[in-house]
Amino acid sequence: MMRDHAMDTDHIDCASAMERLFEFLDGELGPELEVRLRAHLEVCSHCFGQAGFERRFLAAVQAAREAERCPDRLRSRVLEALQREGWTGSDTP
Amino acid sequence: MRKPAATDAHAAFSAVALAAIDDVYRFARSLTRDEADAEDVVQEAYLRAFRSWHTFEMGTDVRRWLFTIARNVFLRSREKGKREVTLDDDGAEIVDAAQAREQWIQGGLDAILERTDLGPAIAAALAELPEPYREAVVLVDLEDQSYEAAAEVLEIPIGTVRSRLFRGRKLLQVSLAQHAMDAGLIPRATPAPSAE
Repeated sequence: MMRDHAMDTDHIDCASAMERLFEFLDGELGPELEVRLRAHLEVCSHCFGQAGFERRFLAAVQAAREAERCPDRLRSRVLEALQREGWTGSDTP
Repeated sequence: MRKPAATDAHAAFSAVALAAIDDVYRFARSLTRDEADAEDVVQEAYLRAFRSWHTFEMGTDVRRWLFTIARNVFLRSREKGKREVTLDDDGAEIVDAAQAREQWIQGGLDAILERTDLGPAIAAALAELPEPYREAVVLVDLEDQSYEAAAEVLEIPIGTVRSRLFRGRKLLQVSLAQHAMDAGLIPRATPAPSAE
């Protein structure tokens, strides 16, 4: 159930919690707000469920990060261009 | 005559900058949404990075540096001076619609988020995001950049990164739900409440 109490110095209401949820999940919230938002999630089942969904969603996006690697022919093309530019390094660090 | 400083710099370029070529390629792909254009961006970005290598501060985030260069290459590769319309309100209506269908989207997506075959649908949904949102989502969600780093690469305030991420992720959920529905992974949506 959503908690409708207004935001005060100690508590965050649901609207504020949802507004800052992504920052919380991204670890981009300051320490003080993080503690307050975490406290809210512990007592609010609606926001807790929402946080769980967003966390799973972000994990799925991250997992889908294409295992796509730079094609070998592009790597060769870049190296050749660099060599023409005077680069004398090696492709294998 | 051997030039140790240059040799060291070239070796460092190999070890540090070239080591990130997969990430730069992936970022270029997300910017251009076109294989050939992405390859051009990657090549030009690496040439510029090599020419400017002396300005790179070792120990700082090379990916942030390379992403910035790649994005600048991309922007200049488009019609000179003619940026796409990148209004921050773009997509607002879709986000509103998403909120109206929040329950269906979350219910449907929640059931499939752990599927291992979701990658293509997520990639397709990402490719459909309007550019400002796509850039922010790709940098933060796929390339693990902080809000601060994304703001630097995109040359926008952190607050704008925050709002673009929020909208971009919501748009992505709508689009992903649509792709999943089209693929038969989740049931068809019940008609959304009319906005009129």
